[in-house]
Amino acid sequence: MSEKLQIGISREEGEKAVSIMRLKGSVDANTQGTLEAKAKEAIDAGSQRLILDMSGVDYLGSAGMRAIHAISRMLSPDEQGMRSPYIKVVSPSPAAAKVFKTLGFDSFIDIHDSIDDALAAF
Amino acid sequence: MTLKIRADLGQLNRIREYVTERATELGIPSAVFDDLRLAVDEAVTNVLVHGYGGAGDLEIELRGHGPDLHIFLRDRAPPFDPVGNAPRDLVPPGDRESPGGFGIFLMQSAMDEILHRETRDGNELTLVKRGVLSTPASSHTPSSSGNHGN
Repeated sequence: MSEKLQIGISREEGEKAVSIMRLKGSVDANTQGTLEAKAKEAIDAGSQRLILDMSGVDYLGSAGMRAIHAISRMLSPDEQGMRSPYIKVVSPSPAAAKVFKTLGFDSFIDIHDSIDDALAAF
Repeated sequence: MTLKIRADLGQLNRIREYVTERATELGIPSAVFDDLRLAVDEAVTNVLVHGYGGAGDLEIELRGHGPDLHIFLRDRAPPFDPVGNAPRDLVPPGDRESPGGFGIFLMQSAMDEILHRETRDGNELTLVKRGVLSTPASSHTPSSSGNHGN
Protein backbone atom coordinates (compact mmCIF):
# COMPACT_ATOMS: atom_id res chain seq x y z
CA MET A 1 0.00 0.00 0.00
CA SER A 2 1.37 3.42 -0.94
CA GLU A 3 2.43 5.89 1.70
CA LYS A 4 2.09 9.02 -0.39
CA LEU A 5 0.07 10.22 -3.30
CA GLN A 6 2.08 10.41 -6.49
CA ILE A 7 0.70 12.37 -9.42
CA GLY A 8 1.97 12.22 -12.99
CA ILE A 9 0.63 14.81 -15.40
CA SER A 10 0.51 14.79 -19.18
CA ARG A 11 -1.29 17.17 -21.50
CA GLU A 12 -3.34 16.60 -24.63
CA GLU A 13 -3.37 19.63 -26.92
CA GLY A 14 -6.54 19.84 -28.92
CA GLU A 15 -9.33 22.32 -29.36
CA LYS A 16 -9.14 22.73 -25.58
CA ALA A 17 -6.11 21.67 -23.54
CA VAL A 18 -6.77 18.64 -21.36
CA SER A 19 -4.48 17.63 -18.51
CA ILE A 20 -4.45 13.98 -17.56
CA MET A 21 -3.53 13.44 -13.93
CA ARG A 22 -2.52 9.88 -13.10
CA LEU A 23 -2.93 9.33 -9.37
CA LYS A 24 -1.08 6.61 -7.49
CA GLY A 25 -1.54 6.02 -3.77
CA SER A 26 -4.06 7.22 -1.23
CA VAL A 27 -6.28 10.27 -1.46
CA ASP A 28 -7.04 11.12 2.16
CA ALA A 29 -6.85 14.15 4.45
CA ASN A 30 -3.05 13.92 4.36
CA THR A 31 -2.80 14.11 0.57
CA GLN A 32 -5.86 16.21 -0.30
CA GLY A 33 -3.71 19.36 -0.52
CA THR A 34 -1.26 17.69 -2.90
CA LEU A 35 -4.05 16.82 -5.32
CA GLU A 36 -5.54 20.32 -5.20
CA ALA A 37 -2.12 21.97 -5.65
CA LYS A 38 -1.18 19.82 -8.66
CA ALA A 39 -4.54 20.49 -10.28
CA LYS A 40 -4.12 24.22 -9.70
CA GLU A 41 -0.69 24.08 -11.37
CA ALA A 42 -2.22 22.44 -14.44
CA ILE A 43 -5.09 24.91 -14.58
CA ASP A 44 -2.77 27.89 -14.10
CA ALA A 45 -0.67 26.53 -16.98
CA GLY A 46 -3.67 26.76 -19.27
CA SER A 47 -5.55 23.48 -18.97
CA GLN A 48 -9.27 24.04 -19.14
CA ARG A 49 -10.22 20.40 -18.69
CA LEU A 50 -8.91 17.68 -16.40
CA ILE A 51 -9.02 13.91 -16.37
CA LEU A 52 -8.28 12.17 -13.08
CA ASP A 53 -7.02 8.65 -13.77
CA MET A 54 -7.79 6.87 -10.50
CA SER A 55 -6.76 3.36 -11.55
CA GLY A 56 -3.77 3.57 -9.18
CA VAL A 57 -5.69 4.91 -6.17
CA ASP A 58 -5.83 2.42 -3.31
CA TYR A 59 -7.89 4.59 -0.95
CA LEU A 60 -10.36 7.44 -1.47
CA GLY A 61 -12.15 9.16 1.39
CA SER A 62 -14.19 12.28 1.94
CA ALA A 63 -11.07 14.49 1.82
CA GLY A 64 -10.46 13.30 -1.73
CA MET A 65 -14.01 14.15 -2.66
CA ARG A 66 -13.61 17.63 -1.20
CA ALA A 67 -10.48 18.01 -3.34
CA ILE A 68 -12.34 16.91 -6.47
CA HIS A 69 -15.13 19.35 -5.68
CA ALA A 70 -12.60 22.15 -5.17
CA ILE A 71 -10.92 21.32 -8.49
CA SER A 72 -14.25 21.39 -10.32
CA ARG A 73 -14.84 24.85 -8.86
CA MET A 74 -11.39 25.99 -10.06
CA LEU A 75 -12.37 24.92 -13.57
CA SER A 76 -15.80 26.53 -13.52
CA PRO A 77 -15.90 29.07 -10.69
CA ASP A 78 -19.05 30.81 -11.87
CA GLU A 79 -21.19 27.80 -12.65
CA GLN A 80 -23.62 26.18 -10.28
CA GLY A 81 -24.90 23.06 -11.91
CA MET A 82 -25.67 19.43 -11.39
CA ARG A 83 -22.91 18.21 -13.69
CA SER A 84 -19.37 19.48 -14.10
CA PRO A 85 -18.41 19.43 -17.82
CA TYR A 86 -14.72 20.12 -17.31
CA ILE A 87 -13.53 17.24 -15.13
CA LYS A 88 -13.81 13.52 -15.71
CA VAL A 89 -12.76 10.53 -13.63
CA VAL A 90 -11.32 7.30 -15.01
CA SER A 91 -11.26 3.80 -13.52
CA PRO A 92 -11.89 4.25 -9.80
CA SER A 93 -11.69 1.05 -7.75
CA PRO A 94 -15.01 -0.48 -6.66
CA ALA A 95 -14.49 1.05 -3.19
CA ALA A 96 -13.75 4.50 -4.65
CA ALA A 97 -16.72 4.22 -7.02
CA LYS A 98 -18.91 3.44 -4.01
CA VAL A 99 -17.71 6.65 -2.33
CA PHE A 100 -18.62 8.62 -5.46
CA LYS A 101 -22.08 7.06 -5.49
CA THR A 102 -22.71 7.38 -1.74
CA LEU A 103 -21.97 11.11 -1.82
CA GLY A 104 -23.88 11.74 -5.04
CA PHE A 105 -20.80 12.62 -7.07
CA ASP A 106 -21.72 10.07 -9.74
CA SER A 107 -24.44 12.47 -10.87
CA PHE A 108 -22.04 15.42 -10.72
CA ILE A 109 -18.94 14.07 -12.49
CA ASP A 110 -18.72 11.60 -15.39
CA ILE A 111 -16.88 8.35 -14.66
CA HIS A 112 -15.28 6.50 -17.57
CA ASP A 113 -13.56 3.16 -18.07
CA SER A 114 -10.60 4.53 -20.03
CA ILE A 115 -8.73 7.75 -20.68
CA ASP A 116 -9.66 7.54 -24.38
CA ASP A 117 -13.34 7.36 -23.47
CA ALA A 118 -12.97 10.34 -21.16
CA LEU A 119 -11.13 12.38 -23.81
CA ALA A 120 -13.81 11.59 -26.38
CA ALA A 121 -16.52 12.70 -23.95
CA PHE A 122 -15.31 16.32 -23.73
CA MET B 1 -4.55 -5.93 20.70
CA THR B 2 -4.97 -2.17 20.76
CA LEU B 3 -3.09 0.30 18.60
CA LYS B 4 -1.86 3.17 20.75
CA ILE B 5 -0.39 5.90 18.66
CA ARG B 6 0.60 9.54 18.72
CA ALA B 7 -1.16 10.35 15.48
CA ASP B 8 -1.25 13.05 12.88
CA LEU B 9 -2.67 12.94 9.37
CA GLY B 10 0.56 11.35 8.14
CA GLN B 11 -0.38 8.23 10.13
CA LEU B 12 -3.68 7.63 8.32
CA ASN B 13 -2.18 5.05 6.00
CA ARG B 14 -0.66 3.15 8.93
CA ILE B 15 -3.99 3.24 10.78
CA ARG B 16 -5.87 1.86 7.75
CA GLU B 17 -3.28 -0.91 7.50
CA TYR B 18 -3.81 -1.74 11.16
CA VAL B 19 -7.56 -2.04 10.58
CA THR B 20 -6.92 -4.47 7.72
CA GLU B 21 -4.45 -6.53 9.77
CA ARG B 22 -6.71 -6.78 12.81
CA ALA B 23 -9.85 -7.51 10.76
CA THR B 24 -7.94 -10.32 9.04
CA GLU B 25 -6.92 -11.73 12.44
CA LEU B 26 -10.53 -11.70 13.55
CA GLY B 27 -11.60 -13.63 10.46
CA ILE B 28 -13.80 -10.88 9.06
CA PRO B 29 -14.63 -11.33 5.35
CA SER B 30 -12.37 -9.20 3.17
CA ALA B 31 -15.41 -7.79 1.37
CA VAL B 32 -16.06 -5.74 4.52
CA PHE B 33 -12.54 -4.29 4.81
CA ASP B 34 -13.21 -1.26 2.61
CA ASP B 35 -16.12 -0.18 4.82
CA LEU B 36 -14.03 -0.59 7.99
CA ARG B 37 -11.06 1.33 6.60
CA LEU B 38 -13.33 4.11 5.37
CA ALA B 39 -15.17 4.50 8.67
CA VAL B 40 -12.00 4.47 10.78
CA ASP B 41 -10.17 6.87 8.45
CA GLU B 42 -13.06 9.33 8.58
CA ALA B 43 -13.42 9.03 12.36
CA VAL B 44 -9.69 9.49 12.98
CA THR B 45 -9.49 12.40 10.56
CA ASN B 46 -12.38 14.05 12.38
CA VAL B 47 -10.68 13.68 15.75
CA LEU B 48 -7.30 14.90 14.49
CA VAL B 49 -8.65 17.90 12.58
CA HIS B 50 -11.53 19.00 14.79
CA GLY B 51 -10.63 17.50 18.17
CA TYR B 52 -6.88 17.98 18.38
CA GLY B 53 -6.38 20.58 15.66
CA GLY B 54 -3.54 18.50 14.23
CA ALA B 55 -2.06 15.69 16.30
CA GLY B 56 -2.80 13.78 19.47
CA ASP B 57 -2.97 10.44 21.28
CA LEU B 58 -5.30 7.79 19.88
CA GLU B 59 -6.24 4.25 20.79
CA ILE B 60 -7.89 2.02 18.21
CA GLU B 61 -9.25 -1.39 19.14
CA LEU B 62 -11.15 -3.93 17.03
CA ARG B 63 -13.04 -6.47 19.11
CA GLY B 64 -15.60 -9.14 18.35
CA HIS B 65 -18.88 -8.97 20.25
CA GLY B 66 -20.79 -12.12 19.34
CA PRO B 67 -21.32 -11.91 15.57
CA ASP B 68 -20.68 -8.17 15.57
CA LEU B 69 -17.50 -6.14 15.26
CA HIS B 70 -16.97 -3.20 17.56
CA ILE B 71 -14.25 -0.70 16.69
CA PHE B 72 -13.32 1.59 19.58
CA LEU B 73 -11.61 4.91 18.92
CA ARG B 74 -10.44 6.65 22.06
CA ASP B 75 -8.91 10.12 22.25
CA ARG B 76 -7.99 12.81 24.77
CA ALA B 77 -9.52 15.66 22.81
CA PRO B 78 -12.23 17.98 24.17
CA PRO B 79 -15.62 16.24 24.33
CA PHE B 80 -17.35 16.19 20.96
CA ASP B 81 -20.05 13.94 19.53
CA PRO B 82 -19.58 13.85 15.73
CA VAL B 83 -22.79 11.92 15.19
CA GLY B 84 -25.00 14.11 17.38
CA ASN B 85 -23.57 17.20 15.71
CA ALA B 86 -23.71 15.86 12.16
CA PRO B 87 -25.66 17.72 9.50
CA ARG B 88 -29.13 16.23 9.12
CA ASP B 89 -28.75 16.04 5.36
CA LEU B 90 -25.84 15.64 3.04
CA VAL B 91 -25.25 18.80 1.04
CA PRO B 92 -24.80 17.43 -2.48
CA PRO B 93 -21.81 18.47 -4.57
CA GLY B 94 -23.70 20.28 -7.32
CA ASP B 95 -25.83 22.47 -5.10
CA ARG B 96 -23.63 24.75 -3.08
CA GLU B 97 -20.24 26.36 -3.15
CA SER B 98 -19.21 24.51 0.00
CA PRO B 99 -20.84 21.11 0.26
CA GLY B 100 -20.44 19.39 3.57
CA GLY B 101 -21.10 16.48 5.83
CA PHE B 102 -19.16 14.07 3.61
CA GLY B 103 -17.09 12.40 6.33
CA ILE B 104 -19.83 11.63 8.81
CA PHE B 105 -22.15 10.57 5.99
CA LEU B 106 -19.56 8.05 4.76
CA MET B 107 -19.00 6.77 8.31
CA GLN B 108 -22.71 6.23 8.79
CA SER B 109 -23.12 4.55 5.42
CA ALA B 110 -20.20 2.18 6.08
CA MET B 111 -21.25 1.09 9.59
CA ASP B 112 -24.48 -0.10 11.20
CA GLU B 113 -24.24 1.99 14.34
CA ILE B 114 -22.01 4.73 15.74
CA LEU B 115 -22.01 5.51 19.44
CA HIS B 116 -20.25 8.31 21.28
CA ARG B 117 -19.54 8.69 24.96
CA GLU B 118 -17.46 11.08 26.94
CA THR B 119 -14.71 9.49 29.00
CA ARG B 120 -12.71 10.85 31.90
CA ASP B 121 -9.93 11.79 29.46
CA GLY B 122 -11.82 12.62 26.28
CA ASN B 123 -14.03 10.67 23.93
CA GLU B 124 -14.78 7.09 22.94
CA LEU B 125 -16.41 6.44 19.60
CA THR B 126 -17.74 2.93 18.95
CA LEU B 127 -18.24 1.90 15.32
CA VAL B 128 -20.43 -1.18 15.02
CA LYS B 129 -20.60 -3.55 12.04
CA ARG B 130 -23.16 -6.28 12.57
CA GLY B 131 -23.00 -9.92 11.53
CA VAL B 132 -19.45 -9.98 10.17
CA LEU B 133 -18.07 -12.61 12.56
CA SER B 134 -19.11 -16.16 11.81
CA THR B 135 -18.30 -17.48 15.28
CA PRO B 136 -18.59 -15.75 18.63
CA ALA B 137 -15.29 -14.02 19.22
CA SER B 138 -13.53 -13.58 22.49
CA SER B 139 -12.23 -10.21 23.52
CA HIS B 140 -8.88 -11.91 24.07
CA THR B 141 -6.62 -13.00 21.24
CA PRO B 142 -5.36 -16.59 21.61
CA SER B 143 -1.70 -15.57 21.59
CA SER B 144 0.34 -12.44 21.86
CA SER B 145 0.97 -12.52 18.12
CA GLY B 146 -2.66 -13.09 17.19
CA ASN B 147 -1.27 -15.37 14.50
CA HIS B 148 -4.29 -16.85 12.78
CA GLY B 149 -4.71 -14.74 9.68
CA ASN B 150 -5.26 -16.27 6.26
